[in-house]
Amino acid sequence: MSVVDSYINYVKKEAIERPEKSFGKVVFGFKANKLKTRLLPRREIAKGYQRLEAMMMSLVADALAKEDSYVWGNIFAPAEIMECFGLKTLSVECLSCYMTGYHLEDHFIDYAQDLGIAPTLCSYHKTFLGAVESGVLNTPFYGVTTSLSCDGNLNTFRYLDKKQGVPFTLLDIPYEDDEDSVNYLAHQIKELALQLEKHTGKPFREEKLRTILRTENETREALIEFFDLLKERLYPAELISHLYLMMGVHLLIGTEEFRDQVRFMVEDIKQYPKFQGKKILWVHLLPFYQDTLKAYFNSSGKYQLIPSDIVLDSMERMDEEHPFHSMARKIIHNVYNGSYQNKAKWLQRLAQELHPDAVIHFCHWGCKQASGGSVLLKEAMKEEGIPMLILDGDGIDKRNNHDGQIKTRLEAFLEMLEGEEE
Amino acid sequence: MIGYICKYAPVEILECMGTEVKRIEPSVTNFNQADMKMHPNICSFAKGVLEELSGGEYEGVLLTTCCDSIRRLYDVLKKEFPDKFIYLLDTPRISGEAAVELYEKRIQKLVLAYQEFSGKMLDEEKLRAYMEKAKASPKLNLQKGAINIGILGARANETILEVLENKGVNTAFNLTCTGIRHQFEMTEEPILRILSRGLLNQFPCMRMTDTANRDALIRKFADSVDGIIYHTVQFCDNYSYEYSWLKGIEKKPMLLLETDYTKQSYGQILTRMEAFLESLGKEDKNKDKAIRRNGKVYVLGVDSGSTSTNAVIMDQDRNLIASKVIRTGAKSGESAERILKEILSDAGLKREDLSRIVSTGYGRVSIPYADENVTEISCHGRGAHYFNNQVRTILDIGGQDSKAIHLNEKGEVTDFVMNDKCAAGTGRFLEMIARTLEVEIGELGRIALESKEHIEITSMCSVFAESEVISLIANNKEKADIAHGVCNAISNKAFSLLKRVGLKETFMMTGGVAKNPGVVKCVEEKIHSKLYICEEPEIVGAVGAAIYALDHFTGEA
Repeated sequence: MSVVDSYINYVKKEAIERPEKSFGKVVFGFKANKLKTRLLPRREIAKGYQRLEAMMMSLVADALAKEDSYVWGNIFAPAEIMECFGLKTLSVECLSCYMTGYHLEDHFIDYAQDLGIAPTLCSYHKTFLGAVESGVLNTPFYGVTTSLSCDGNLNTFRYLDKKQGVPFTLLDIPYEDDEDSVNYLAHQIKELALQLEKHTGKPFREEKLRTILRTENETREALIEFFDLLKERLYPAELISHLYLMMGVHLLIGTEEFRDQVRFMVEDIKQYPKFQGKKILWVHLLPFYQDTLKAYFNSSGKYQLIPSDIVLDSMERMDEEHPFHSMARKIIHNVYNGSYQNKAKWLQRLAQELHPDAVIHFCHWGCKQASGGSVLLKEAMKEEGIPMLILDGDGIDKRNNHDGQIKTRLEAFLEMLEGEEE
Repeated sequence: MIGYICKYAPVEILECMGTEVKRIEPSVTNFNQADMKMHPNICSFAKGVLEELSGGEYEGVLLTTCCDSIRRLYDVLKKEFPDKFIYLLDTPRISGEAAVELYEKRIQKLVLAYQEFSGKMLDEEKLRAYMEKAKASPKLNLQKGAINIGILGARANETILEVLENKGVNTAFNLTCTGIRHQFEMTEEPILRILSRGLLNQFPCMRMTDTANRDALIRKFADSVDGIIYHTVQFCDNYSYEYSWLKGIEKKPMLLLETDYTKQSYGQILTRMEAFLESLGKEDKNKDKAIRRNGKVYVLGVDSGSTSTNAVIMDQDRNLIASKVIRTGAKSGESAERILKEILSDAGLKREDLSRIVSTGYGRVSIPYADENVTEISCHGRGAHYFNNQVRTILDIGGQDSKAIHLNEKGEVTDFVMNDKCAAGTGRFLEMIARTLEVEIGELGRIALESKEHIEITSMCSVFAESEVISLIANNKEKADIAHGVCNAISNKAFSLLKRVGLKETFMMTGGVAKNPGVVKCVEEKIHSKLYICEEPEIVGAVGAAIYALDHFTGEA
């Protein structure tokens, strides 16, 4: 057994047996991994993704190591506001994924379910709740979440407020896309800034927010360029690389560090050869640990995944002159908001631009909004003449996936794609 | 007629316009349409509504943006029924003035849309008069002398209320959205503003951000009742958070009851509710004098399970006179007749010698000769206490369900949990696997004990687990190791049930699976304690039923 594996097993055992004493060990492992991703990057993935991985490792390791340097969030929390106060945002989804590094997800999920939390709840939320409630994960001073797309957020944050005393702000995201909605949400975002002022004792500076939004625009320009190049270049990635990109786009958006990272990827991808294989537009989360999917898609020359909604969920051009309204507009226009028909239309447009050979929609266990719309999306893709596969599984809990079923479905689908060519 | 589902829907508007409005209460036999057009893993209520709407009784439906499943339901309905009035009302999650104003505008839009659809106009003065009459805040309605039950959680359906009524139990409060009525504080403001404010400030549900007054009222009401039924809907997760929180602080007995809006789930709901009401201790007031034969009183307890039918005859001193276990077969009624005949013959008694017969088990209501029926949960409690009065925690794994029961020192049930509506972790699952492995079900456990390699069966679903086993066979794994993996998977499920009632010694295991040494060993390893298992673990429920029968008689002859 390698040193790394021994440490993972050790932390897992400690977290189960002495949860209240294991936080430091968990963080130490993250720090070690951060160092490893810098010094010994994994050569099988593109340089841009190597750098991204190291950056995402730093985000979590550094934030957790310093109390008061971060807030809990969800993937749609407005990280720009937190950045104004020098705060990092660690989302439920992100922290749960990192816990799988110690193979602790089963333990935490069972822990949450034993408390009475529904087994049908999203596994990201269950892992997070289990990690906090069992005492492994320390609590920050504040949480920021939204009602966008996911019922779990309000309830998870409220539960932890009641049980662990972590106060939070929920941004209530209106469903309808009109000016009334924008005003309503802009007001709430402003209130959030005041709350953070109160909790951090630091003043909120609108000028800083303007700078952040400017950087956000630059980042998005680079991101669009990157996706444009991705449709023709072979850029080796692993399933998890796409999740890192999702985390960056949401949790580090508006930082210069992340803008430079995306710009680096734009230059880097140009060094890679033309891609000759099949392009698959991936919708929703990726079960990054799943054996069959890894075998087919990790650093593959034959198939290239293009993550769609999880990275490109917002294309809003930010208006520095009206920062709060602009942020409100961005959240309301997010593809996860509103009807699934909107999302289907958006994916149709994306497909027209990126010319994928196929679409795979992953229905993550517990995610009602994604599963419930999967059939509508398939019909929309049919209109575009693009074959679509619906895969059921779990983004994090291995016990809710069945490798045999995924394998048979995926292989039949890929055979079908190859057949079409002949 | 327009259907609606949510207590935040301004139904007053449609009613004032002369439209019949009905809250949709699905009761369906399958989810064929929903599974095809949405996805199986969507909230059962939303799936049920889709099935009901497909029935054609409704001209339309007024939905709110209450949760993820309902938002997707709207998308599907909108596409499926382009000619119906399918409306999704964007409903805020906060209740301050900004939200009241926003919701007022949303309601104005709804009015316009419905006017256009129906050709009817809204008369605001009529609406004002209508709203003035509506006055009802959540009330506590306690009844002396009756068992008082409060209902919390997700929308309690008719079935739950009916069962309570039939059992003569008083529903002291129903704080789920089916028990809440609107009330409005009438002012000089525009009427739709008053409506909006009244709706957003009613007793909040879990989708609302600020639930502080909800928590306070729940705690206040809960203190005054005998027990609480906490209802959740399958694949709706929001209320499980509140249940988990409340469970940690509330002292009153609480039953977690999950339903899925199918007609088939009635039996399961009934068993859980009856067991809960039994555990609240209803005194049998109509005690009789017993029949004596040769100076002795005989009673029969019969447990009609999905796999086996078990019976015992007991005398007034609680001596076991005879016991019998037979396979249930396809008709529970037939095996009940057969076991009666056989056990009477074993005991050398006649039907008329039996003073009383109590039935239990899933088939308890289909036994025509029983004088009374009691759930298998209460019966297992009494039976376990009879065999060993130190027992505090029972694990019962039968053919179609598994349960963990907590007893107090008197042998009374104080808490219980049952498996979900699925075969994982039950005897059926073991039978399925035994067939796949081509071994006798009775042999599976013994074979498991010979295992040398640890194999983890990771799937929680029995269908997945079976195909996982098939893959293991394909990979040439040893039968003993697979059998052990399966026993371990069952014990994982069992352990999680046991944890939910609290791991108190002494432990007892009952039901057919207690005869499987492989499962027993795995469970014992997890609980770090021995399982007490009586000689015939399948008759524990029947013994409990017989004791209930004896309870019915006064001491005198």
